[in-house]
Amino acid sequence: MLKLHTLGKRYGSRWILRDLNLEVLTGECVALLGPSGCGKSTALRLIAGLEHPDEGGIELDGRSLDGIPAERRRIGMVFQSYALFPHLSVRDNLDLGLKIRGMAPAKRREQIDAVLSTVQLVNEADRRPEQLSGGQRQRVALGRALLRNPSVYLLDEPMSNLDAQLRDELRPQLRRLILQGPQPVLYVTHDQQEAMALADRIAVLRNGRIEQIGTPQELYLKPATRFVAGFIGRPQINWLKKTNGACIGIRPEHLRPDENGDRCRLIGREWLGANQLLLLEGAAGQLQMLCSADLQPGENLGVSWSPQDEHHFDPISEKRLSRS
Amino acid sequence: MAMVFGWPMLRYSWLSMHASSVLTGLEPVSNQGANWIRLLEDARFWQDAVQTSRFAALSVGLEIVLALAMALLLDQRWRGRGVVRALSLLPWALPTTMMALGWRWIFNTPYGPLEQMAQSAGLSPLNLLSNPDWTWLATVMADVWKTTPFITLLLLAGLQTIPDDLYSAFRLEGGKTRQALTAITLPLLTPYILIGILFRTAQAAGVFDLIQVLTGGGPAGSTESIAQYAYLNAMRFLDFGYSATVMLAGFVLLSLVIFTVAVLLQISGLLRPLKS
Ligand SMILES: Nc1ncnc2c1ncn2[C@@H]1O[C@H](COP(=O)(O)OP(=O)(O)O)[C@@H](O)[C@H]1O
Ligand SMILES: [Mg+2]
Repeated sequence: MLKLHTLGKRYGSRWILRDLNLEVLTGECVALLGPSGCGKSTALRLIAGLEHPDEGGIELDGRSLDGIPAERRRIGMVFQSYALFPHLSVRDNLDLGLKIRGMAPAKRREQIDAVLSTVQLVNEADRRPEQLSGGQRQRVALGRALLRNPSVYLLDEPMSNLDAQLRDELRPQLRRLILQGPQPVLYVTHDQQEAMALADRIAVLRNGRIEQIGTPQELYLKPATRFVAGFIGRPQINWLKKTNGACIGIRPEHLRPDENGDRCRLIGREWLGANQLLLLEGAAGQLQMLCSADLQPGENLGVSWSPQDEHHFDPISEKRLSRS
Repeated sequence: MAMVFGWPMLRYSWLSMHASSVLTGLEPVSNQGANWIRLLEDARFWQDAVQTSRFAALSVGLEIVLALAMALLLDQRWRGRGVVRALSLLPWALPTTMMALGWRWIFNTPYGPLEQMAQSAGLSPLNLLSNPDWTWLATVMADVWKTTPFITLLLLAGLQTIPDDLYSAFRLEGGKTRQALTAITLPLLTPYILIGILFRTAQAAGVFDLIQVLTGGGPAGSTESIAQYAYLNAMRFLDFGYSATVMLAGFVLLSLVIFTVAVLLQISGLLRPLKS
């Protein structure tokens, strides 16, 4: 189990990460989700021991990692850039760590061969990283993490260098190789869809602070802050105008055409396949609505929603307002 | 390119097949390769070729090692690094003749600071500019001082192409900072080091103004470079035909070496930076 308590890091006088409390249980995958620059990579580097925290601490399986150097932390890390050594073959990339740790050649060979076949790179063993595709490079990086036989996996946006189709293809593989194992996994991403698809729980990070931790369903159904409501769910939530005080959001999938509803004018649409995303202009401001009806721009239509689908937030603190 | 390089080359080639000196009234008169035969038997030319080669080899060797150390230092994060980076470029920005005069003063016997230091240390006078065995080292020292910043800059640019993540990954695998130098930095810097060597070798082999000002080729011709000998033939002996031959021969020798090495390196792929 990985446990972060009141973890903080600053560069100069600027806090990059503050008051980070998080537990990743055995066998669990927690996604650290947030926009670029919010401190996700910094969190991983602190856990890996590549940086020192200015506040708080880290525990792994009940033992504090304080003062334990990076190489003895038993961490399997996949860097966003993959950080493969460009002048070494796939095999030598994998071998480097084993060699440094003084493992016998025969044993090294055996372990590397096993990992190569796990990540399906047996035929690429003698190639250099630049001779590999993006997906293959990612698998070398995964292989290197596997070889460490770590107590925790830290994955830093492992999909962000791959195109959308490849990401979808690689998700099952990532589940099989790493997520299904007993080790806790901290999975960093800025892609909410990826976090929803892969993680057991999601921690939403904003400007170095956690906004909310919860299962994907909890985050979607009961976003704790205005920021989380906007960050989770695509197409993005609509923010209503004219709401006397509270800040109210309603998701595009919760709007429905209704003769007696608010009158809106259709000003644009995107065809998504199974349904359409309609862009409407009405008294409540601009609204996006998911709808299966075939409508033409310029048409008028009525729109309504049920009040229990609304999300209310305090306009100052941006916290969720509970409504009974 | 054609005008500043191609045309003079053609002109030199043509001139090297002619006698054109005071004897011919400076009119070019064809002499069927007599210049080239003279060159083959000219001990002074070959001595200059050896001198130019050892000057280039030692200068470039020292420069690379020093520049590597400087670049590694300047690549680290420390206070005042920006100022030092800017200052360290100064020798390179200084006109060669000016800095050569500076070094002439430093080496001066008995007034230069070097001699003064030797004196107060109780040594006998070094006479660095009048000792045929040692003076070439003084020219090397001045050249190293002037051009190390240039290679430092080149290597610094090379170092900055190496992603920090590689060092982080290396650390996680248990590698020590010291080991990273040979495991990561040097292999990935190799293309930049080789280009630096090629470039500087070509430049050092054509050395002229530094030596002209610092030693004038002396003492006893011990520091004379090929370019200087060509210059002497033209401007002192007014033998333009032979001067062109010397110039061309130096150029051909140098390009043979550089070209062969560059082709070999290109084939081996060592000149190409690797992407991760
Ligand atoms: N070594 C550093 N020195 C100063 N600022 C840094 C350093 N590393 C990261 N930062 C800053 O910390 C913030 C968070 O960076 P990072 O953790 O890489 O964000 P993320 O991975 O979420 O995109 C960024 O604003 C970045 O500029
Ligand atoms: Mg990052």
